Amino acid sequence: MSANDLALGAAMAAMVAGAAGTVFVADVPRLVISLGVFLLGVAAAFLVMGSPLLAVSQVFVYVGGVLVLVLFALMLSRRGGGERPRVESRHDIGAAVIALGVFLLLTVVLWPSAIDPEPVVVAPEAIGAALLGESLVAFELVGVLLLAALLAVLVIVKGGADR
Amino acid sequence: MTFVWGLLWGLAAVMLIAGGAVVGVWWERKVAGRIQMRLGPQQIGPAGVLQMIADVPKLLFKEDIVPTGADKPVFRYAPLAVFAPVAMSVAVIPFWAGWAPLDSTVGMVFYLAIPSIGVLGILLSAWGSHNTLATIGGLRAAAQMISYEVPRSLAVLSVIILAGSLQPTKVMDAWQWWWVPLTFVGFLVYLIASIAEMNRGPFDLPEAESELVAGYFSDYSGFRWAIFMMGEYGAMISAALFGAAVFLGGYRWLPGVPGLVLFLVIAMLIITVVMWVKWTFPRLRQDHLMTFCWTVLTPLAIVQVVVAGVVALWL
Repeated sequence: MSANDLALGAAMAAMVAGAAGTVFVADVPRLVISLGVFLLGVAAAFLVMGSPLLAVSQVFVYVGGVLVLVLFALMLSRRGGGERPRVESRHDIGAAVIALGVFLLLTVVLWPSAIDPEPVVVAPEAIGAALLGESLVAFELVGVLLLAALLAVLVIVKGGADR
Repeated sequence: MTFVWGLLWGLAAVMLIAGGAVVGVWWERKVAGRIQMRLGPQQIGPAGVLQMIADVPKLLFKEDIVPTGADKPVFRYAPLAVFAPVAMSVAVIPFWAGWAPLDSTVGMVFYLAIPSIGVLGILLSAWGSHNTLATIGGLRAAAQMISYEVPRSLAVLSVIILAGSLQPTKVMDAWQWWWVPLTFVGFLVYLIASIAEMNRGPFDLPEAESELVAGYFSDYSGFRWAIFMMGEYGAMISAALFGAAVFLGGYRWLPGVPGLVLFLVIAMLIITVVMWVKWTFPRLRQDHLMTFCWTVLTPLAIVQVVVAGVVALWL
């Protein structure tokens, strides 16, 4: 077992622990820390597998953006009177079923490439060239799609009066 | 072996930041003294230099107070999540031709991405304090830091476009003197956004003492408070070093050791300018702060990116 395998194992252990914490912990700061451990674990796995750009983007977008916004929203919605909000759901079983379904779907789709793992190392320059070269149209379309989604959220949040 | 080296460099970075923070506090008090016609430290040692030796034991030996209502483990360890990313960001700064402590192929993005973990530390410490002032301070810090990341990243992007690489040492190899006038607006945007990122005046709304006591670190004292201070001064040192290197050319002006010395002098000048700004300008209002980011800095940074992109076509 090489040092690389050990590092990958550690990253995966962090991912599993973080994911379990995110599901089973109800206390908000601990939940956010668990989610953070999971996301950093994903970044570490990308790094070990030879995609530093993906690892850094993971930290930039998910830890620095999404996770901060989640915590931000939870803090804004905090009720007064010393009561600590807890994240609880009445739909645990349904959520578990859906999670299992997504897991099965991904397993079935990704299985052909998973049985013969060829390490794919792509240089950051190649990713940049692909995004601004042959995949330019797709890249721009995704951008427009995200913008449309954001505008849709704005419209929904604003409610009926200003629509 | 790589691991041992990494550990040693990590220790060196923490030492550098901690030592730099102690000297920085002394220097800031001297600068503020000159600007505002106050005295600053002058009693202990020549020009008060021994004041910094007196300050450190004071902070270390103060009682470690954890409020009764706080979420104790979160409260205790959140400051580390504020400090660690700052120390990590120093790793990719190119100090010498072809050499950075961690010469990563994506170092420029690494430098921009890592401090965003610090935002999480600030939010967690604010939450852990379980205190209204801390909560408001934490919310302000998060809003401010994720907003100012945008113009900051765009400003650095202009240099990345000109150099055609994400690797800091390669950027330094490609650096030309005429990039300084070309990216000067970008440098100013970078500097202003960096001041906002490190929550220093005039952008220190999250810790505004006149309204929020000290914001997200109201409840901290002793060495945990000192970790926040180390984070703030460390962010200033790191931002100054990075700006001095990629925007102002760093060691490229002179060959060999004089180049390194000049690089450090430029960084210290930037640090002094940051302090000068803090002690000269009054604090902004929260909505002005956000408006300034989205309607002034971000468009300026985009214009800078376009200029760099057009020039890069002719390179």
